[in-house]
Amino acid sequence: MSSPLLSVSGLTKRYRRGVKIIAAVDDVSFHIETGETLALAGPSGSGKSTIARLVLRLVEPDAGRIRFEGEDFLALGGAALRSRRARLQMVFQDPLAAFNPRATVARVLDDPLRVHGIASRQERPRRIAALLERVGLTPDLAPRAIHEISGGQRQRVAIARAIATKPSLIVFDEAVSALDLSVRGQILRLLLDLQREERIAYLFISHDLGVISAIAHRVVILDAGTIAESGNARAVIDAPQSAIGKALVAATPRLNRTRP
Amino acid sequence: MNPLRRFLRVPEARAGVVILAALLAMALSASLFFPGDPQAIAGPALLPPFKDWSLPLGTDRLGRDVLAELFHGARTSLAVGIAAAAAALVIGAIIGTLAGFAGGLIDELLMRTTDAFQTVPSFLLALAFVSVVGPSLGVVVAAIALGAWTGPARVARAEVLSIRERDFVAGARVTGMHPLEIAFREILPNALPPVLALSSVIVAAAILTEAALSFLGLGDPNRVTWGGMIAEGRAVLRTAPFLSIIPGIALVLTVLGVYLAGEGVVETTAVRRSLS
Ligand SMILES: Nc1ncnc2c1ncn2[C@@H]1O[C@H](COP(=O)(O)OP(=O)(O)OP(=O)(O)O)[C@@H](O)[C@H]1O
Ligand SMILES: [Mg+2]
Repeated sequence: MSSPLLSVSGLTKRYRRGVKIIAAVDDVSFHIETGETLALAGPSGSGKSTIARLVLRLVEPDAGRIRFEGEDFLALGGAALRSRRARLQMVFQDPLAAFNPRATVARVLDDPLRVHGIASRQERPRRIAALLERVGLTPDLAPRAIHEISGGQRQRVAIARAIATKPSLIVFDEAVSALDLSVRGQILRLLLDLQREERIAYLFISHDLGVISAIAHRVVILDAGTIAESGNARAVIDAPQSAIGKALVAATPRLNRTRP
Repeated sequence: MNPLRRFLRVPEARAGVVILAALLAMALSASLFFPGDPQAIAGPALLPPFKDWSLPLGTDRLGRDVLAELFHGARTSLAVGIAAAAAALVIGAIIGTLAGFAGGLIDELLMRTTDAFQTVPSFLLALAFVSVVGPSLGVVVAAIALGAWTGPARVARAEVLSIRERDFVAGARVTGMHPLEIAFREILPNALPPVLALSSVIVAAAILTEAALSFLGLGDPNRVTWGGMIAEGRAVLRTAPFLSIIPGIALVLTVLGVYLAGEGVVETTAVRRSLS
């Protein structure tokens, strides 16, 4: 049998708040299979973003283990970690904050291709155009500054940046929350297409169970840093067992219970 | 409206630009109008200004042309002021960025060094440096930069500390960028505006420091400097005060011009910030 793409066990991160020490993430374990979407849901402050940052090694855990693609991901450092980052990408909530304010679309997409030596300098403009087309944008957007394009376009550029290095897992932290409804639907469809074609796994963070039911296979519901319940997304949303799960379902009025 | 037009609408900026343009014209045209050695004897000694129109500002104790010296002095003042300020800004930005981005021990080490440099008055530092190494243009520039980089370093560090928490830096890490590239290509350019806002003050201070060093005889002996001219005139202050007053006025106008232009830049960017 093969091991899962990502497995997280006993993950713990504590922060000091005044004199008290609180566990933002407390003994959390889960796994993601290749090509699968796992959603993390939970109220504000339940530790979703902290888990995303831990998985991406943007912050270091106090305890726990992370295995990714068969390797001890926490044991990596320096150049080895930087090269593995090609396989594990992230899309942030605020697409404006996620890019260097001075960057152009082309530069944003050039960076991963250059850093990981994916394409030669001459070849990169063509690759950038192909990436833009892959996420439903026109290549003439390339010379534009990041702040000159719309929020929806920006989030597509963020997705293009994430898939530039052919990752096996992308973490989305509230990546569609800032978008209006019609744009959100388009982006979710794009993500489903990408997953079907490239077999990319998603760790999809959202507090919106409507979005989660549209995209996730399984869901983990967090409460104050611990896992309240987890399971098949449809099953959990149809019949939540935990108090926090029930509250989240009740707070989502028009739950679309059909998967596209 | 483009930034230059907006800049030129600020009255201070316009005054500053006029003064600096005149100064720059003087510096650039010095060898055109006054070819040859400005320190060569050009006429009778101590000729007062406006007496002989071939020597409009008169001559000094040795019979050197004061106007020629003034033009060549502008060149030294500007060159030293700009070079020293540029060096101080570059050193300060690099050290501040490294300290703010690396954090921990490196930050502690760099900032204690900055403290150490800041506690010594910068003029004393320059004085000591030049007297040990010996006066030449490069040494004077280095000596002034040595006392001026701490301000830019502090400002750059503070700016970097806030920028490094932003998502786009996390994004650059996720991309797999090398930390040095993140520090100098992603963060530093965004930290620069408040650092560059210090440049006018630093240029003005550098020009004054250079003049003071020259006044004390620690300037480059092969170049005419305004500070050196003031020192020269000191011996005949009662009989020929113009020898000290003319370069003194030039110095005051220059510092004023740099300061006003700097104010204009601050004003322009402040207006832009409040508009956006
Ligand atoms: N850098 C930090 N320093 C101190 N406390 C932190 C830090 N980051 C997160 N926390 C705390 O950890 C807890 C979890 O935060 P986290 O951002 O992971 O929540 P979240 O589930 O993403 O919430 P939201 O839905 O509002 O984004 C919160 O109580 C938060 O205050
Ligand atoms: Mg969050």
